[in-house]
Amino acid sequence: MSLKDVLKDIEGYQEIGEEIAVLKKYGTDHSSQRGQVRKIIDLLHPGKLKLHVSEIIRETGSTKTFRMVSPDGYLPPFQAGQYINLVVETGGIVTSRDYSISSAPSQTAFYDITVRQIGEGFVSDYLLNDVKVGDEFQSSSPAGNFYYNPLIHGNDLVFLAGGSGITPFMSMIRETLSRGLDRRIHLIYGSLTPDDVIFGQELENLSRNHPNFNRTLVISNPPEGYTGRRGFITADLMKETLGEDISGKTYFICGPEAMYTFCEKELYRLGISRKKIRTEMYGPPKDVSEQPGWPASVGRDAIVTVSIKNGKSVQVRTTEPLMNSLERNGIVIPSLCRSGECSLCRTKLLKGRVFQPEGVRLRASDRKFGYIHPCMAYPLSDLEIQLSNAEFSGSQD
Amino acid sequence: MAEYDVVVIGAGNGGLTGALTLAKAGRKVLLLERHNVPGGCATSFVRGRFEFEVALHQLSGMGSDERPGPLRSVLGELGVLDKLEFVEMENLYRVVWPDTLDIILHAERAAIIETLQQRFPKEKEAIPGFFELVYGFSMEMIQGVFFRDPAISKEKYPLFFKYALTPTQKILDGFFEDPLLKALLGIYWSYLGVPPSRMPFGDFAIMFFAYIEFKPYHLKGGSQSLSNALLDEFLMNGGEARFNCGAQKIDISNGRVKGVTTEHGDTVLTRYVLSNASILETYLNLMDPEEAPHNALEAYRSSTIGPSAFTIYMGFDCEPGDLGIQETTNFITTTTDMDKTFSLWKTLEQQDVALFTCYDVADPEFSPKGASQAAFVSLQYAEPWYLVPPHQYYDTKYRYADGMLKLAERVFPGIRDHIEEMEVATPMTHLRYLGHPGGAIYGFDQFAKDSAYFMTSTSPVQGLYFAGAWAGSGGFQPTLTSGRSSARAILKSMAKG
Ligand SMILES: Cc1cc2nc3c(=O)[nH]c(=O)nc-3n(C[C@H](O)[C@H](O)[C@H](O)COP(=O)(O)OP(=O)(O)OC[C@H]3O[C@@H](n4cnc5c(N)ncnc54)[C@H](O)[C@@H]3O)c2cc1C
Ligand SMILES: Cc1cc2nc3c(=O)[nH]c(=O)nc-3n(C[C@H](O)[C@H](O)[C@H](O)COP(=O)(O)OP(=O)(O)OC[C@H]3O[C@@H](n4cnc5c(N)ncnc54)[C@H](O)[C@@H]3O)c2cc1C
Ligand code: FES
Repeated sequence: MSLKDVLKDIEGYQEIGEEIAVLKKYGTDHSSQRGQVRKIIDLLHPGKLKLHVSEIIRETGSTKTFRMVSPDGYLPPFQAGQYINLVVETGGIVTSRDYSISSAPSQTAFYDITVRQIGEGFVSDYLLNDVKVGDEFQSSSPAGNFYYNPLIHGNDLVFLAGGSGITPFMSMIRETLSRGLDRRIHLIYGSLTPDDVIFGQELENLSRNHPNFNRTLVISNPPEGYTGRRGFITADLMKETLGEDISGKTYFICGPEAMYTFCEKELYRLGISRKKIRTEMYGPPKDVSEQPGWPASVGRDAIVTVSIKNGKSVQVRTTEPLMNSLERNGIVIPSLCRSGECSLCRTKLLKGRVFQPEGVRLRASDRKFGYIHPCMAYPLSDLEIQLSNAEFSGSQD
Repeated sequence: MAEYDVVVIGAGNGGLTGALTLAKAGRKVLLLERHNVPGGCATSFVRGRFEFEVALHQLSGMGSDERPGPLRSVLGELGVLDKLEFVEMENLYRVVWPDTLDIILHAERAAIIETLQQRFPKEKEAIPGFFELVYGFSMEMIQGVFFRDPAISKEKYPLFFKYALTPTQKILDGFFEDPLLKALLGIYWSYLGVPPSRMPFGDFAIMFFAYIEFKPYHLKGGSQSLSNALLDEFLMNGGEARFNCGAQKIDISNGRVKGVTTEHGDTVLTRYVLSNASILETYLNLMDPEEAPHNALEAYRSSTIGPSAFTIYMGFDCEPGDLGIQETTNFITTTTDMDKTFSLWKTLEQQDVALFTCYDVADPEFSPKGASQAAFVSLQYAEPWYLVPPHQYYDTKYRYADGMLKLAERVFPGIRDHIEEMEVATPMTHLRYLGHPGGAIYGFDQFAKDSAYFMTSTSPVQGLYFAGAWAGSGGFQPTLTSGRSSARAILKSMAKG
């Protein structure tokens, strides 16, 4: 007798067999669920979005808002503060950049992204100079971890924004005020000049009409005769403007890298604990060779060779993120956060050394087994890497 | 066109051990994974200074170097033991019901009996008998079924034949009066996702036995380190892996696997596919409807999609001791009615049983110095989440998480104020990351009728094999083992030509 036959002697076997026979007739017809998993995922987190520019709004001399709609009318939900990764093709190069959504999540008809031209910016130049109403884009669905968590962040919030770093806050402010949520917000917003203040008028109106919203503007490079606040977002400024209970509030920082390093220090000076501080990584640092830990022995703009296993070799600059250099050479690694956080670009380093600034969030075992996040990895020597999306062996060599 | 001996779809536990077994046997293997890391459930993610463990609470079947359990042997044969560091837990678990019960079971038979006898003096006589049955049954099952005794019979293995399919609740009721005692002894039911009234005693006994005898384990670096180690060994054995690269379609002709097409549109040739994707996804969405074997699908009519999970991952800015956390594994309950608890899994109502695991108790290096982390998890079905309109998803998730956190706070007051990082995963999160129907983490429901005594995962499509939770039962030990078994079946079929 086979094992299967013997098992029939187990007490209760017969009854269960009968139950199964009934269920075979009246049970679940799984084939009705064909395609369902994909559909359910796509309602919340579609892999890719198709977006059309429906309107372009000039915000300041250097900033425009692009209103993005979906051709099929559906946009997935997001949490105020999240971004999309926008894919662009310009000058024959396919790359992508992240833009925080500045519209409120309750606005389901469109996503606004608000882009500042940074001068010498590869993508921002293209977006501001060339993009017209009707242009089509592909993007990721909304992502990122810079958002308000009602379970732990409390009702008393301080937003520290620098330059285009106002965008995620705009979404949070619009959401809080339009939904009448029980949160108090104080925005401290630093800009270079008064003309650079994005959403200035709207912020003024909102603060006038909503007692739970305050704003403080601070200008670092004011024109002569400017009467408002000057300088940076310092501990003193916060002490002066935030009133009581400074340590009970939750602080959100978004802006250029230099700004949040500065603000974080100021917050620690005020005795704010790290769990009360949330920061958005706003992409790679402007000058990586100034980062702590950058080896002095490696030239600022030295050129090294990156070879891809079973693929081509390319020359790259040490001070450019590996991902960007590869894109310049037509090699696109999947990317999302472009800040070293999300691990989408996770790639195996076979030979050589890279520099990954603080803040790059590698899993311990990824580090152990030699993986890097190329969006925030800078080659320090000749490298060999293994791409997990390279051609299949045998097809080409 | 590139050609492989085997294409493995999915790098979950089953896919990884399957791929590695095949590569070690010298086969040319391509492993396709839709996510960007290997592991499926067995992964981690980073928030701030914390690396959160997604799934693993207690690894079963490991055993020590001196007394290796079955899983240690599997991992040893696969050649990954020296890439890993294991952490043994002294205690099985703590069960706590605020103001009612608080008890810790040491992972040792005699100690458990003593603890229980002290706390439940009225049941003093019955307690050792229950353990005798658990042990006696398990020994018979191991000898008769696992070691495939050719002379297996009712007479030779009476306990096995009598109790294998008996509902666990019935056995507990037979031994004990006190509902608290029954609830705390049966609490591992939540690891199988089947309430004691419907959980076959065979499943319960062997799990309970294995956790006591081989001890619960954890891994340094979490389950991601195991997944990474398996992948590393696979690559070293000449395997090829693609991430962010799901399988889109299995090409079949004349009832035989011919190749696989990826989501990027690349097609490779192969005569064998080992699928770690769910059986349903494989038949329904990875095949042309005309090619999908109708009969095989019909065979699953009697099966239902199993539970997913709802988890709050918390990173604390202090050490476990500062929060009164003394145990790694804490089951928090406010009921003895497990049938009701099970029915709550199909709703968005507040759960009344959940598991609070703090990894840093057993492994103080798990989180950065001066910090710690916990996962608070309850199983839950996906259905109630399907009914939440997408634009209310985040609000609903926070509201639900808030209720869960309040339950945890009844045992660990003040934890909320120490949460530095937090992430909430719903069944929808698992659905998204695993691509399984219902976001199921143990595959199909595991009622008696779904067990291997009645179901088979053999496919009528020539060259198609399955590994993982959907093809057997869920959990680390079974899925890791299943990949190896399916790979062996493929090797056998290849040898036949
Ligand atoms: C989560 C997130 C949200 C964001 N949200 C917004 C937003 O809402 N609005 C917004 O305007 N921006 C936002 N950004 C920034 C945005 O993604 C882009 O970084 C920004 O538009 C600049 O991109 P670029 O291609 O124009 O500049 P890049 O060409 O990428 O240049 C970026 C910086 O690097 C320097 N640089 C340029 N070329 C090189 C080179 N070859 N080597 C070394 N350095 C170089 C530039 O001087 C510049 O300082 C966000 C970024 C992140 C990560
Ligand atoms: C919160 C939680 C807690 C748990 N706790 C425990 C515990 O304490 N102890 C225990 O033993 N078990 C536990 N489990 C269960 C255990 O983790 C799972 O049962 C087991 O890991 C499942 O393994 P699997 O082989 O079935 O693969 P899965 O983990 O289900 O992975 C399947 C893989 O296939 C991939 N895939 C699917 N479709 C495709 C496709 N078309 N193309 C390419 N790839 C595809 C998926 O992306 C995924 O990586 C827990 C699980 C969770 C989520
Ligand atoms: S794209 Fe997110 S880590 Fe590189």
